[in-house]
Amino acid sequence: MGNEQIRALPATAHHRLLARTDALWALLTGRPVSLYATAVLRIGYGLLYLLFLLREFPHRDEIWGPGSPWTPALAAQLFDQTGWYSFLIVSDSRGYFECCYVLALVTSALFTVGWRTRATSVLFAVVVASFHARAIFMTDGGDNLVLLMSLYLVLTACGRRWSLDARRERIRSARADGPPVRAPGPAARRLREARATLTTVVHNCGVLVIAAQVCLLYGSAGLYKVQGSFWNDGTALHYVLNLELFQPWPAVSHLVDQYPLVMAVFGYLTVLTQVAFPFVLFGRLKYPVLTVLLGMHLAIAVVLGLPLFSGTMIIADAVFLPDRFYTSLPPLLRRAARRCGLPARAPRQGTGFVSVPAQGGHPVTRPARGRGAPSPSGPAVTE
Amino acid sequence: MSSGIDSARVRETGRSDADPLPWERPDEAGPPGRQPAGARILGAGLRAAVLLCLVTVVVHLGAVFLHVAPPNPVSRKYGRQVDAWVFPLFEQNWRLFAPNPDSVNRRVLARTARTAPDGSTQVSAWTDLTALDRAAVEHDPFPSHTAQNLLRRAWAAYVDAFGSDDTARSPRAVMMRKYLGNIAAERVAGHRGGTFDFIQLRVVTLPVAAPGTPPGGRPPAPVENRILPWWKVTPHGK
Repeated sequence: MGNEQIRALPATAHHRLLARTDALWALLTGRPVSLYATAVLRIGYGLLYLLFLLREFPHRDEIWGPGSPWTPALAAQLFDQTGWYSFLIVSDSRGYFECCYVLALVTSALFTVGWRTRATSVLFAVVVASFHARAIFMTDGGDNLVLLMSLYLVLTACGRRWSLDARRERIRSARADGPPVRAPGPAARRLREARATLTTVVHNCGVLVIAAQVCLLYGSAGLYKVQGSFWNDGTALHYVLNLELFQPWPAVSHLVDQYPLVMAVFGYLTVLTQVAFPFVLFGRLKYPVLTVLLGMHLAIAVVLGLPLFSGTMIIADAVFLPDRFYTSLPPLLRRAARRCGLPARAPRQGTGFVSVPAQGGHPVTRPARGRGAPSPSGPAVTE
Repeated sequence: MSSGIDSARVRETGRSDADPLPWERPDEAGPPGRQPAGARILGAGLRAAVLLCLVTVVVHLGAVFLHVAPPNPVSRKYGRQVDAWVFPLFEQNWRLFAPNPDSVNRRVLARTARTAPDGSTQVSAWTDLTALDRAAVEHDPFPSHTAQNLLRRAWAAYVDAFGSDDTARSPRAVMMRKYLGNIAAERVAGHRGGTFDFIQLRVVTLPVAAPGTPPGGRPPAPVENRILPWWKVTPHGK
């Protein structure tokens, strides 16, 4: 009996491994995950970059233009050394620069609303990389993260939800309600399926990279702080609050500075949260941790005058919220609006956020709160 | 969820699983053992592409990890490959306020000089450029990068390239000197005008008082007062 068991063991392990591989394959190729979260990242970063460009409108020439103290000649010299490139140094003329600036504004706006998203996302990444590289000595951690995210978002299908593309797709499929006139041949069908699978895989890999990138960010930021003596003895926030360039409201900074106990607690909480971040993501503990981080970033935004930096971090955290969280938002908002006495806007047919046909051959949206029938497999749609 | 949305959903995707779409009829190609060559090649290509995606993800995350991790045997061995992958697009710097926040405030001051037609040199008073930045940040909920980052980071980059003396020993150092000179000249010209063709910087480093120091005491004595050499700049105001 014992002998048989021993002989059976490798076979079970083998089967288990096969089952694991199959499960991984299904997870990777089955359906695009976190479509709502990537849509939130698209809207968030597009909007944030648009705000950034508009905020720097009076300083645009000083930061990216030919009149910058980091002259086009210096930028070109640095690109030769580092291998970067920016389309902003193609010409020194002011007119060319203004065109680039307008292009950046339009690209950010189109990316935000999700118009022809895959092409726009490539353009957005090129714009962000070019503007970042041109003013590389004026950037901070927030700009760094926007650049990384704009590159990663190119991989994702971030235009499938809450976008003009989704709206167009909805209208198109509503029109073409009857069975298609001519079924595609088997070869064309296989090709289309393969393309859809590949799109799904690249999207899922992109989401994985974004999530891992945020973990690396928090993990390394936390572990760097662990090595710092001020973070160890709980006085770090005192020094942070006394940095003159990060005091938009000096009275607030000085007021908070008078409570060393509170600041020690918040300093420790910051480090602990950042270090713990990568390890709590797979359990329910992630919600309190994300809430603490949200509070921390809001405080940084207001007290230290770093809204852009904080905004990029808050949007990055949004990737960890599941789709069912986002699909439950619109009804909640509607109910809240009704309770506040606002005219209840009956959702017009086909404009609801959750009624996008499922893609990749599997239902993507779970019906919120268990209402509504689970949608059967819709036709595979690629962008 | 409203009934309107539900009915839209049902109408859009209302076909049941038992009723296959026209192109989802049982495979005409016959049993799986006799798939056409094209399908097999497509399947193999797809698997290869998926594998490539996974390998790229693993390599990328590994490289980024080694890039942010402290120096270790692995990053020493593969440092060149990691740098080649990460730079310039995926560079990361998450050291805001870490390992320690700055415990000093730096004030960059500038004065200018011009040579009069009779050959004499006239030197201006010092202008506090950092004070201009602080004034721009104060009471602004969304401060500009030009106030918070421009001068601050230019000075940090200058110190990175030069160290503690002011002799340029690398092309990068020459570039940073030019950059800092341009910033100072434009700030001074924008702030108080005047004609000049030389500029000099002074950087005063003031410590942040230790916690518990009563406010309103004597201002802290500077820990460093670094005076840079005179630099020739493009003539301003002429």
